Amino acid sequence: MAYTKEQIQDMIRQEAKKALASGEVSAVVGWTSTRFADKTKPFFAETEAECDLLVWNEYCVNGTAKYALDDRYPEKKLAVIARGCDSRAINRLIQDKQVKRENLYIIGVPCDGKDNPICKECQHKNPLTFDVLVGEEVEEQINADRFAEVLAFEKLTPDERYDYWAKQYDKCIHCYACRNACPACNCIECYADQYRTGWQGKAADREQNQVYGLTRVFHVGDRCIECGECERVCPMDLPIMRQTRKMLKDINDLFGDYECGMPNDSKPVLGEYKLEDPDEFM
Amino acid sequence: MILAKKDLDQALKILSQDAVVFAPLITLIEDKSQIDQPAFEKKFMPYHEGAAVGLDNFNTVKPPKDVLFPNVEKLYKYKTGEGAYIEEIVPEDKPKILFGIRPCDMRSIDSMDKVFFTKEYVDSYYAKRRELVTIVAMGCMDTQRTCFCDSMGLDPTYAPTADVMMNVTKSTRTKACPVTGCTIPEDDGSYILEALTEKGKALLDKISSLCTENGAEEAVRDVSCSLKIEKDPELDKKLSKMFEHPIWDKITKGCIGCGTCTFVCPTCYCFDIDNENYGAEGCKYRCWDSCMFSDYTRMAGGANPRPTKKERLRNRYMHKLSYFNERYGETLCVGCGRCIENCPAHLDISEFIEKASKVDAEAKEYSEADFAEKEVR
Repeated sequence: MAYTKEQIQDMIRQEAKKALASGEVSAVVGWTSTRFADKTKPFFAETEAECDLLVWNEYCVNGTAKYALDDRYPEKKLAVIARGCDSRAINRLIQDKQVKRENLYIIGVPCDGKDNPICKECQHKNPLTFDVLVGEEVEEQINADRFAEVLAFEKLTPDERYDYWAKQYDKCIHCYACRNACPACNCIECYADQYRTGWQGKAADREQNQVYGLTRVFHVGDRCIECGECERVCPMDLPIMRQTRKMLKDINDLFGDYECGMPNDSKPVLGEYKLEDPDEFM
Repeated sequence: MILAKKDLDQALKILSQDAVVFAPLITLIEDKSQIDQPAFEKKFMPYHEGAAVGLDNFNTVKPPKDVLFPNVEKLYKYKTGEGAYIEEIVPEDKPKILFGIRPCDMRSIDSMDKVFFTKEYVDSYYAKRRELVTIVAMGCMDTQRTCFCDSMGLDPTYAPTADVMMNVTKSTRTKACPVTGCTIPEDDGSYILEALTEKGKALLDKISSLCTENGAEEAVRDVSCSLKIEKDPELDKKLSKMFEHPIWDKITKGCIGCGTCTFVCPTCYCFDIDNENYGAEGCKYRCWDSCMFSDYTRMAGGANPRPTKKERLRNRYMHKLSYFNERYGETLCVGCGRCIENCPAHLDISEFIEKASKVDAEAKEYSEADFAEKEVR
């Protein structure tokens, strides 16, 4: 029998309390309510009483994994409440050697989709990596066509596509929310923050925004776990996932089925060389 | 003066003849791929004939501050080596009208005026733009769920420092709705305009032919914010003693360190200056900066006095709620709610104001659980 969300919430709180009581965990990252019923916010529960503030509902949209980067050399473990996407984000951070698995305690929660359009295309609702699983696994949606949007977009002429993105980047305010929310953007120092070197101008104009957009998509293209955080957080509503999906589609076409953030220790496809790699373009 | 709603376009057309009129325009974001749902954007843009002016409902995501303080502003261009020169780039001197800004955004311009005009320093670029702008403020008709300007001491229906104050009028005549049968206003109302300055009088003179004298019309003034917050009236002084308070550790944990809050904030005025070089030629420009970025306080040698998001967010909140009071005698948060609506991590400055108002300034420990008034479900 499936659990109700209230039951799952109670179980999350119990697991969080257990984790803190073990003495090995400094805090549990999950979500808590805000003054608006349709918004929750990321929350660090550090005491038993604070564990009772953790919530589980359709508005728990924020990714939790990236908070593991706030302290790269922690004294104690950080417990992370992880949905399918968060578990892939954690795998991403581990495979990129940004966090150590032993520094994390993962409370996995199967997720049936949140109030977030990207969840409709989710292919991994169940956590792939966890120490303890709360609730019951949910049925995966196998036939989600994650590239349908890219295929439709590819039908436009190059000029139309350029025009489309140029207008999108006119809206961009250069806030870097897409970068900061992205689990694949895990460099200790981003190239864009080294702006005195001249890689990236600070002005929020079309030119500089496009430079940033292109650089971002090539940096994360073969490591994107498709959580859609970049697109969700964008205050100006740029369809950022369309770019990363295009990269992933091309990688799929060239190198076969490819997904990032899976538990096997696969290397990012553009980050390694194999003799059998396609080279028709050379 | 009274302007019928149907004459608004005509009035804007007349005003556009010798000034650029920035109004909150609603535009459809074009998408030839037709994959996206039709999306609309509302922002302050130069008025053109046939534009959809959105004076009611929600405020713009981006504040109107860039009309006075552009996102990117070129200061001077230069060439080095042979034929070297430096040439100032002067802001264009066409008069502008900022039409239909909300009282919160008007207050934010007052704050920017203080920064750029007072304390023995005048920013000539800002000053030039400011001098050429006439501001028509629009009283809010309804407020958004994140609006809390009246808790910050503002009146959502009145902006005392605007050049012209504009409100909708209360409809006096009613009729029965043909669909539901309930009583509804007979016409869609009018605007009541009042000049508050000489600039404002000159503006109203231009459209006086479209207007009628005030009669029995009354402005809609009984609007109040949907978000009411309990703020300690002495919060600025209290915060100045709370620099090391444990509340900062807790409330900054969820922050992802992006610049959204600062770029959608109508009162954030920080800028950076940089060069853009093409060979021997180039230009010096200034552009908006954000105190939430790591390089904001990073010094030449690499040291950073605000190394993590805790120090950065603390600085932002302190600046809004305490430091600015200390220097200019008013709070820098105007309660527009943009940062609440747009924060990727759903942080809420109004929540912080309430919590900081309630905590013991000397406390050594802080728990969110102390504020859980009811079981969270």
